[in-house]
Amino acid sequence: MTFEEFKDRLFALAKKNGVEVQISFLETKEFSLRLANGDLDQYTDAGKFNVEIKVLKDGKTGAFRTQVLEDPEKCFEEALSNLQIKDSEEKEYFFEGGEEYREMETYVGRFEKLSVKEKMGMAKKAHESAAKDERVAMVPTVMYRDMVIKKIITNTLGLNVESQMDGGFLFAMAIARDTNPRSGSWYELARVPEELDPEEIGKRAAEEAISLIGSKTIPSGKYPVLMRNTALLDLMEMFIPMISAENVQKNLSPLKGKLGEQVGNPAVSIKDLPYHPKGLSSTPFDDEGVPTTEKFVLENGVLKTFLHNLKTARKEGVEPTGNGFVGGIRPVNLMLMPGEKSFEELLKEMSRGVVITEVEGMHAGANSISGEFSLFAKGYWVENGEIVHGVEDITVSGNFLDLLRKIVLVGNDVKVSQHTIAPSVLVEVLDVAGK
Amino acid sequence: MVKKKGGVTVLNESVIRDVLSAVLKNGGDFAELFFERKFENRYELKDGKIEQATSGEIVGVGIRGFLGTKAVYAYTNDLSRENLINVAKKVGEALEETKVEDLTFNFNRTKRKERHVVLIPPAQVEKTDKVSVMKKAYYAAKNYSELIKQVVVWYWDYDQEILVANSEGTWAEDRRVRTRLMINAVAEKDGVLERGFYGPGAGMGFEFFDRIDVEEAARKAARIAARMVEAEPAPAGKMTVVIANGFGGVIFHEAVGHGLEATSVAKGASVFAGKLGQKVAAECVSAVDDATIPNGWGSANVDDEGTPTQRTLLIDKGVLVGYLVDKLGARRMGMKSTGSGRRQDYTFPPTSRMSNTFILPGDYHPEEIIAATEYGLYAKTMGGGSVNPATGEFNFAVSEAYLIEKGRVTKPVRGATLIGKGHEIIQKIDMVGNDLARDQGMCGSFSGSVPADVGQPTIRVKEIVVGGRNK
Repeated sequence: MTFEEFKDRLFALAKKNGVEVQISFLETKEFSLRLANGDLDQYTDAGKFNVEIKVLKDGKTGAFRTQVLEDPEKCFEEALSNLQIKDSEEKEYFFEGGEEYREMETYVGRFEKLSVKEKMGMAKKAHESAAKDERVAMVPTVMYRDMVIKKIITNTLGLNVESQMDGGFLFAMAIARDTNPRSGSWYELARVPEELDPEEIGKRAAEEAISLIGSKTIPSGKYPVLMRNTALLDLMEMFIPMISAENVQKNLSPLKGKLGEQVGNPAVSIKDLPYHPKGLSSTPFDDEGVPTTEKFVLENGVLKTFLHNLKTARKEGVEPTGNGFVGGIRPVNLMLMPGEKSFEELLKEMSRGVVITEVEGMHAGANSISGEFSLFAKGYWVENGEIVHGVEDITVSGNFLDLLRKIVLVGNDVKVSQHTIAPSVLVEVLDVAGK
Repeated sequence: MVKKKGGVTVLNESVIRDVLSAVLKNGGDFAELFFERKFENRYELKDGKIEQATSGEIVGVGIRGFLGTKAVYAYTNDLSRENLINVAKKVGEALEETKVEDLTFNFNRTKRKERHVVLIPPAQVEKTDKVSVMKKAYYAAKNYSELIKQVVVWYWDYDQEILVANSEGTWAEDRRVRTRLMINAVAEKDGVLERGFYGPGAGMGFEFFDRIDVEEAARKAARIAARMVEAEPAPAGKMTVVIANGFGGVIFHEAVGHGLEATSVAKGASVFAGKLGQKVAAECVSAVDDATIPNGWGSANVDDEGTPTQRTLLIDKGVLVGYLVDKLGARRMGMKSTGSGRRQDYTFPPTSRMSNTFILPGDYHPEEIIAATEYGLYAKTMGGGSVNPATGEFNFAVSEAYLIEKGRVTKPVRGATLIGKGHEIIQKIDMVGNDLARDQGMCGSFSGSVPADVGQPTIRVKEIVVGGRNK
């Protein structure tokens, strides 16, 4: 049956049973091309939809997800049976809607207008550009991907919101020849294909790999660290669970009880920017239909707010912040606000120390409950403000909250990732394990 | 065209024939259809109360075509005949050049031998019984120590039915039922928080909870949190590390396993490419991937390409003897599939993946290994890790560690990460214990997140970089 019929039947069921119901419809279309050593390795052109049915009764919700619009009765019963096993006393809510939402152009449609040939051309160009230098042994992966996502959220309390977004992604990985192979990669995300420069992405991937030829390990010790934007973007992911009001309320965040306190260096400001023009996740409303809001999380180092969904906000008697997403509370675009200095100036400022360009193993080596991290890292050894050689076989470790205090200078070289946006930063000192 | 048969949505054979034909009429030399229906339950408990309760079903079809080593994939969850044929046509068109003349398919529908018998399917269990298990775990962890301030328990089960049919005549059906309980305990002392995690699972139904001691599993998570919150930071630098059995096998999974997958090997983007028959590891190391283990977390009767699963010897006394190969990898490498084609669900094209992968037991008692170590780290419980197969650079986190001093396990230390290059570290294993055990994890790669067992007996690595703190 059509979505409209399905919705009408569910709304009628809700009315008959004296409960509220909310339906979230998510349709995704993706196209991707993956090249291995310049040859087509994988071509994907596909689409699907997901529907979540949520029932609200006596301050409790139960959910059921399906990909079949056949049997609204069964979906309703399933959601209701999940509601019945909940015994948490914390009240849950649906949003009534009726609010003003920001007008945004999250769908441009330029990617959909490209022909397969043009997309292939972009991937090939990135490959050629990455493979050009003779020190590059191979280009195992070039990936082009674009997607369109359509969302509808509607409930029996009157909420009815709809959005559509599109965007694309180009990634290249190069391997440079050395006694041990050296890998380098680069990617860009964009709302329109014109902002993805295949030549540049390929070139950067090759440069990253080549720059690590002759890498050496360094003695274990405490060093000043220039955390390049590429590494900071990943590291900031571990801050996300810490600023979730849910985790704070449940004793799962080291930031508990620190609201209003100076937790970071005054040089550090972090905002959630849901309308950032370059953020592919940018959206006027969250997955509960609540309008998203721009806000400081950290302003000159002071912790200003946690991120809320409806439940955590109403529990504390504050306004929801529009951060209730499927899978948990999260920012839309968490941005560490840029400073004045260029990357080169930060390098000069550090004079002697380590540049970290990449951290690996975030899902295991970064602990958002304690704030501790210990991660495999790659980068360069710096003396007299100049890169001397690449570093290999090292880890960088510390505590993220401690790192926020030790960021002494913030760069102006902003890079955009899925949920985080950041420049490079100079950190007074971090622990490095090497030889 | 979608029929309900015994409550199960199935595609009929004539539609499947038409789909495969529609691919090959338009291009390619091989066509495959993958149908999946999966029903799952996920519950979350915090502070002793059920906070989240969600169930769901996914139903969809993946259609794939090859032309030589070129692969095109599409998926959809509109299962109407018209749409499926349309999607199939597009797959064929993207492959160009028709190679196949004969479009009659003789499906070989042999009855499958069920190696993973399920006694109590999730759908037959009252939701409240599942909740009882969660609460039992919660109280066991909460009451372990006064330091335990929060316990989060997740319950997850699913029942997946698949059908794979291809133009070579494969017609394979399989059912995978999996059940898992995950416990995250949080300890607090002097304002410092630390966590402990344990997540046992199996390829079976609710009978899983008759096979394991739920309270013991919960206390394990609590023990890790309580010990580690009082621990000082792990030392930094190169040292000898003894890695305990069970989840310790993540070292082999990351350092070597991913580098043996055809996905990387076929492109030459693995440090183990071209090394078949060569000595790549210390002689005390032998390892296998075995998807046939009855009711194993990573087991199946057939893989997601319809190939029967097998036990594959990967390393024999230090010599590389096998890779993990899927259908596309088989074409690229001129080898046979090892039944290793796996995917998270129909939205991912399958690729070569590990199933249950572990180092085989050696001769030493674990106590002997520790006693023989003058100074080093005892990595008792491991977190996850990752690797870049092209360079062999891997990392994994140690979630519970102790120092070894003068042959004895002494004080707890926290926050250690172990890193290195797989091809170097695997040569530095110098002692292998006799206490093989396996544990459960989720492995992420090109074809999504799949259940996988890691495992090993206690082993010793002579020298490896420990990412900790400097004095």
